[in-house]
Amino acid sequence: MRRAIGLLIFYAVIGTVFGSTTDVVLAAAQGGAKPSVAVATKRLAELTQVRWAIHTDAATGGSKIRIVVDVSDQVDASSEILSTPTPKLVITVKGARLGKVPKAIAMDGKIADGISIEADEEKNTRIVIDLPLMIDEDNVKVFTLRKDPVTKRPNRIVIDIDKPVPPVEFSFTPGLRNKVIVLDPGHGGSDPGAIGLNKTMEKDVTLAVAQIVKNLLVSEGAVVVMTRADDRDVFAPNATAVDELKARTTVGNSRKTDIFVSIHADSCPARSAGGTTAYYYQKTRYDALLAQNLESGMIDKGNLYERGAATANFYVIKRTMMPAALVELAFISNPDEEKLLVSNSFQQKIAQGIVDGMKNFFEQAANLGGAKR
Amino acid sequence: MIGSFKIMFLIVLLVLVNLLTGCQPNSGEQGEKQQTSQEIVKTLPVAGQDNAAKTQRIVVYRATKDARYLVPEVHEVPQNDHPVKTALELLLTDSHNPDTIFLLPPGTKLRGVSVKNGVAYVDFNEKLIKGSNEGSTGEMLMVAAIVNTLTEFSEIDKVQIMVEGKKVDTLAGHMDVSEPLSRSEKIIKKSL
Repeated sequence: MRRAIGLLIFYAVIGTVFGSTTDVVLAAAQGGAKPSVAVATKRLAELTQVRWAIHTDAATGGSKIRIVVDVSDQVDASSEILSTPTPKLVITVKGARLGKVPKAIAMDGKIADGISIEADEEKNTRIVIDLPLMIDEDNVKVFTLRKDPVTKRPNRIVIDIDKPVPPVEFSFTPGLRNKVIVLDPGHGGSDPGAIGLNKTMEKDVTLAVAQIVKNLLVSEGAVVVMTRADDRDVFAPNATAVDELKARTTVGNSRKTDIFVSIHADSCPARSAGGTTAYYYQKTRYDALLAQNLESGMIDKGNLYERGAATANFYVIKRTMMPAALVELAFISNPDEEKLLVSNSFQQKIAQGIVDGMKNFFEQAANLGGAKR
Repeated sequence: MIGSFKIMFLIVLLVLVNLLTGCQPNSGEQGEKQQTSQEIVKTLPVAGQDNAAKTQRIVVYRATKDARYLVPEVHEVPQNDHPVKTALELLLTDSHNPDTIFLLPPGTKLRGVSVKNGVAYVDFNEKLIKGSNEGSTGEMLMVAAIVNTLTEFSEIDKVQIMVEGKKVDTLAGHMDVSEPLSRSEKIIKKSL
């Protein structure tokens, strides 16, 4: 119960994920594991096939398992999460009997350990999915699909389970003093990053802002490590992109880092697009909180269009082990914002916004996750 | 070349009813693959073309002007035996729709595409990486547009992006594209 409340608070805190807070809370409240349309079937439907695959969302990088069960007729399916003795997701298929499907299917254990399928006395079939970690209702979506004569697909039950966030291993104290913060000024050396219409290079802006952030943090007593402190490649000039990205995550992963923040300037083919974004990858319970606080800090001080905190399948925030965020200060491809990005006053303001965000993050993170260790 | 122009003329651009209104992303899926809907399809008559000829409906994804979402763009093109390749060619051709952003770097060309066990292996020339002057937002939209365009086909579940015949880890230095990626429903702007 305490866990459920904690999760609700967590969802309320993380706020926008491509949408509004209301959306997220609403989705959490609805669960998504609702029974679908009930259909009266005279003779018993039969389970005919079970298949599964792990899917990685192209934009957010979020991972889920999708289990598809073919059935000979339309059925009604409902779901229930059991926590004891071990986490399980139980799908009850009403008025359906076991067909030629296997009674047990082993899985890779990343999101699910395996499935067992059994019939009960009341002419129902139960699909029991063993889970390595406890999940919440909003991690599960169960729905049925009717057969499609065009694609020749049969009636199906679809079960989607999101990869759960692993248990928290971090605990934070408020304040910036003695915090180890890795700053990663995007691009550098042989890689200019995005280039504005006025020839401003992203690598110069990211370094300038990172230097200001560093000075502000050091004056507050934090320990700052920069992935680069001048205009150079972190791995080697003209290295492959992945070696370069790996070199940056290594700076964070090779020491006891509290947070990792990669600083970038955004760009897209349309000059009209603008604003400030903070991206995160949900690998700990703190990544969203960090991005949300950085976004608020930057909007507060930089005053640009609030694009929000959003999940993204970005290398440096995914492959670092500690809470991390990638901030996009403004769009270098937008002529007005390009001017801001090179101005000292905007650089000072946005850097202060990042530091404010970090301070607020540690304040809030200290209140999460129970007792201090 | 002339052939591709013909196709271009036949293109039917959709205009999403709510392109400039409403900003909520999709909150959930109704189907194994969500059907795109609510677009207005406008057919341009083409001189010398048999109007009774069979056509196929192909959906490609473009970014909204504010670079926040993807929207489907529906094309009605003559039927052929390689719709997946046609979809990619349409994706690589700027439709000059003033309401959307064309995402691919100039000069990006398709080298080939094959589908095996539900995974599409799509191979572009090096312009996809070298011509890319994208920030992380542009890169994310570009990757999602490729993946979502291909996963419109029922036989494609995942997409492995390749450049000059090889798997790549990233396109513009932010995204992790080292593994086959699945469709992103979240990034599609929700219809009214």
